[in-house]
Formats: sequence, structure tokens, C-alpha cells
Amino acid sequence: MTDLASRAALDLSLTPEQELVQRTARSFATDELLPKAAEIDRDARFPADAVQKLGALGFMGMLVPSEYGGAGLDAISYAIAIEEISRADASVGVIMSVQNSLVCGALVTEGDEEQKRRFLPRLASGALLGCFALSEPQAGSDASNLKCAAVRQGDHWIVNGTKNFITTGAHAGVVLLFAQTDPAARHHGITCLLVDTKQPGVIVAKQEHKLGIRGSDTTQLVFQDARVADADRLGAVGSGFKVAMKTLDSGRIGIAAQAVGIARACLEDAAAYAKQREAFGKPIAEFQAIQWKIADMSTQVDAARLLTWRAAALKDAHEPYTAEASMAKLFASDVAVRAARECVQVFGGYGYVQDFPAERHYRDAKITEIYEGTSEIQRIVIAEDTLQE
Amino acid sequence: MKLLVPLKQVPDSTMRIKVAPDGKSIVTEGITWSISPYDEYAVEMALEQKDADPSTTVSVVTVGPVRAKDALRAALAMGCDDGTFVTSDENAAPLVVARALAKFVEQKQPDLVLCGRQASDDDQGFVGPALATILGWPHVATVTKFAPADGGIEIWREVEGGHEVWKASGPALVTVQKSDKEPRYASLPGIMKAKKKELPELALSSLGVDAAAPKIEVVKMETPPQRGGGKILKAADGDAASVAAELVRLLRDEAKVL
Repeated sequence: MTDLASRAALDLSLTPEQELVQRTARSFATDELLPKAAEIDRDARFPADAVQKLGALGFMGMLVPSEYGGAGLDAISYAIAIEEISRADASVGVIMSVQNSLVCGALVTEGDEEQKRRFLPRLASGALLGCFALSEPQAGSDASNLKCAAVRQGDHWIVNGTKNFITTGAHAGVVLLFAQTDPAARHHGITCLLVDTKQPGVIVAKQEHKLGIRGSDTTQLVFQDARVADADRLGAVGSGFKVAMKTLDSGRIGIAAQAVGIARACLEDAAAYAKQREAFGKPIAEFQAIQWKIADMSTQVDAARLLTWRAAALKDAHEPYTAEASMAKLFASDVAVRAARECVQVFGGYGYVQDFPAERHYRDAKITEIYEGTSEIQRIVIAEDTLQE
Repeated sequence: MKLLVPLKQVPDSTMRIKVAPDGKSIVTEGITWSISPYDEYAVEMALEQKDADPSTTVSVVTVGPVRAKDALRAALAMGCDDGTFVTSDENAAPLVVARALAKFVEQKQPDLVLCGRQASDDDQGFVGPALATILGWPHVATVTKFAPADGGIEIWREVEGGHEVWKASGPALVTVQKSDKEPRYASLPGIMKAKKKELPELALSSLGVDAAAPKIEVVKMETPPQRGGGKILKAADGDAASVAAELVRLLRDEAKVL
């Protein structure tokens, strides 16, 4: 057992750089995202303008080393930024998370030098958007059961199959595609390929109409004899499943931070409303029924953020963080959903109509319990890690 | 072109300011500090010249307590080339600040010094003109734009209903007004580049400036009196004509706006 008393005090202070990242992210979120969030949600419009500006400021390749055009920041800065952006607009938060954690993240850890030089500078600047194509119509949580297949032909791969629920699928120039290259080997037969979407064989078959995060597009991608050069294979043949799982660990920090941002939006909006809405002759914030809701939300938001920062700190220290990222994602997504429910309740009837942000938070929050590993999958990961000790 | 922006760190404009128990200062605990807004416009104006002509250098300097270093870091993260930190007490007198800056300007020899028109904490607008006076430099106030012109600098300032264009033949000092160009965000690569930059520190004494003299002292600080609630005339107070007449009477006799 670890002797807790002998451990040094936890240092929760931010570095000057982390504070500046938070400041830039918060100003950008408040000035550029918040005023448009309701409209983007209502019209289910991809926030191309915001994505481009975020790219110019370095938010699309935060963890990419500077020699590949990235900001070269740490994972805690990343969690801070996603929280701030998601506090204003959770749709932009997920677009950022996919680009940073999944697309850039996989290239940084798995890409060869030539691939890094070719893709990372454009991804980090936002000039090129990427998407991560693992899920299939019959394979979501059961990610090893893939049907989408790539067959080797000389120095190329020919891809056929369907991928589901692909974030940024309609706007991405490159797909990180996980395809079966040796069906008999099951998950040891999955290979990751970088597929150029600008070819006839890659079809955006369907755009989903969603409950929340409506500014982020979610699409079905169909591959019909799509061609991929073997030079665009990411990692070894058959290593795809491992690449996907490792990449998703980091993705869970991003989604946990997104959930913290949504929960904070719920808390801040509910608190502000409670202070100015009057009932029975006084602001409802003076009633204990409301105070307890605010106290619970406040406590839960802090706890979720601390779990998220711990996972990020472990990643920064190059320590294993799979279970910790799952804990952060499991807890923060639950906090977001609960906070959104209470936020609607504090707003009362106004929480149910689109003139106020509460109902948007309520719809945006739910997805955090589902994507990049459902809460049930997170519990499997955490239980496995806990029980093996 | 060598540009220098002296800046001041002030409580962020989103902060709620409270008077401390001593009645002479503000509560600084829990305050978020920022570059004073007009100084930020000055940084932006300088960086735009650098965007137009990459040979331009933009330096920043501040006189203040240790926390003020963060303001320099923020300016470097926006894209300024170098920063210098002059250490002083919490509330250095404006004349002491101007004298210290004058010594620094003499060392640095910039072509143009850009100050914010006033700091958002004490709103005195003192340091810019005082610095120009000590240096014996020309000074143009509330400037919205400048550009290098034949053998000098062209300077625009807003006046009622239009603008004036001035020309400075040699080094000059301007104080900067809010302009259409909002200060840029610190980019993330900029933040990381700023991290690697040294921030040289100078003591007031090493600049030959006496921190003690001359002294001005804040004797008392008070928050503005609470505003009374507005007055609402209700339909129940009479018919439309009499309510309107009462409104006109109140606007004329009480508010004295008619």
C-alpha cells in the first residue's frame, strides 16, 4: 500500500503558460463562441469560421510538437482549453477533441517521420481536418468486430465497407480508418490507414440528425474500392486495434474535459439565473432548495475537473493513465448529465424553451456518456485495472 | 523600426473591486491581473506595424511588483520580441514610474514609444505625457494609427467629427486610444515561444531612480454611492395623458434632462 502521509502535497497550481492558455481559450470562447452557440445548435451548422480561427491560434494541434507545426503544449493545458471552449459551445469542444486527441494524437505516436511532416503541420493549423473511423453499424463498443476490409494490391490497399457515427466526417480531408486486413486474426488483423477523402470511393452516405452537439457533424462514411497507398498505413499491419485503444485513452481526457465544460456551463448559468429570478418576493438563490443544487453542482464540477487533470498529469509524466482517463470520463460525463438536469430545473419553465441555454446543455450533455467509450465500457476498463492488482 | 510599449498590470476589467479595510487600497486577494486595456491596444498597434514590416522590433517594459511579470509574458505571447521587468513596490508613484521608464528609453533608444492613453485602475493618464516631458520628446495623445513616412512617422488622432494627421521627424511618444483593431489573442505557439524568452530584471536603483521621492499618497478610497432604484410609473397611477404629463414633469424637474 502507498503510504499517503509520505507523499508530497499535491500541487494544483497552474504554470504561467497554462494560465495564459486558459486566458486565451476563455476570451476566445466568450467573445467568439458563446454569442453564436444557440444559433449554431438551432441550424445544426458546422462552425467552420470558429474552427479556422482556433486553428490559427494553435488549438487544433495543441499536443503536436513545435517541429511539426504544433503548439507543443502539455495535456493539462489541453484539458483546460477543451473545458473553456466547451463551456461556451460543446460542439466546438468535440471537433477540437477529435482533431487533437484522435487524429493528431495517433499521428504523433504512430506516424513515421514522412507521415508526420506531411500531415501534422496542416492538421495543427486547422487547414486540414481529420476524422477517426472505428465504429461500424454493427460494431460500436465491440470494436474488434469490424467488417470494413482492406485488401492489399501491390503497393496499395483497396478498402470496402461502412463506418458509422464519424465526427467531422463531412468536413475531414483525411480519415484515420481502422479496417480488417486479416479477418481470421480478429482484432489482431486490424490495420490503421490514412485515407484521403477526396476520391470517388469515399462517400459521405448520411448525416445524422442529433439530439445535441448539433454543430458537429456526425456522418456515415461508405468506402467503395477506395485506394490507399501502403505509405499511408499508420503503424504495422495488424496493429490497428492497439493503436485505436491507445489513442482513445487520450481521447477520453478530451471528452472528460468537454463534460467538465458543459457541467460548468450548467453551474454558471443556473447560478446567474437563480440570483436574478425572483419568486415569493426574493431571488430563488436565497431558497435552500436551490442552494443545495448549486452546492452539489459546484462540488461535482470540481471533482470531475480534478480527475481529468490527474489523468492529464499522468499522461504528461509518461505514466500509464488508461484507468484514470476512464475514471475521469465516466465521472465527468455523469456530472455533466446531472448538472444539466439540475440546470433545467433551476430555470423551471424557461429551462425547457430555446430562449435560454439550459435545454441545449441538457441535450449536449448526454453524448458524453456514450461516445469514445460508453460509461459501461469505461467501467469495464476501470474494473479490469482495479481487479488485476 | 524600433517600437517600445511600456505597460501596466491592472486588475482585470471583469473583477469586482472592493476597498480594503484600511480605506486606502483595494483588496488584491483573488484578483485576476491583466494588461491594462489601452496598453493592450498599444501592443496591438505596434504588432500591426511588425506584421506590415517584419524588420520591426516590438519591446515591452513594465515597472511593478513581481506579479507584473505575467503582463510581460502575456505581451510576449501576443508576439512582442522582448520584455524588461523593472521591479518596484506595489504602488510606485507615477512620477517614479515615468522617471524609470525615461532611463530605460535612453538605454533602448526606440523610434516610437506607445503608451496606453490611461491605465484602467487609477485612470490618471499621467505616465505617457510625463515620460515625454522628461525625455524632451514630442507627444501626440489619443492616437488611433501610425505609419512610417519619409524620414519620420505619420500619426493619426481622432478629433470631433474627423481625424488629424501629425508628423514626427524624430523619435516621439504617443498615447494610444481604443481603435477598431481589437488586441489579438495570444496564440498557443506564441505562449510557448514566450516561455523560452528571458525577462531581464532591473532595479530602480540600478536605473538611478529614487523610489521614495516625490511621494503622493492615497488618503481615502470610497466606492460610489449605491444607485437608487428607477422610478416606474404605472397605468394605475392615472390615465395615459396624466401618466405622460407626470413623466414630463419628472424628467424636467427631477432628472433635469428636458
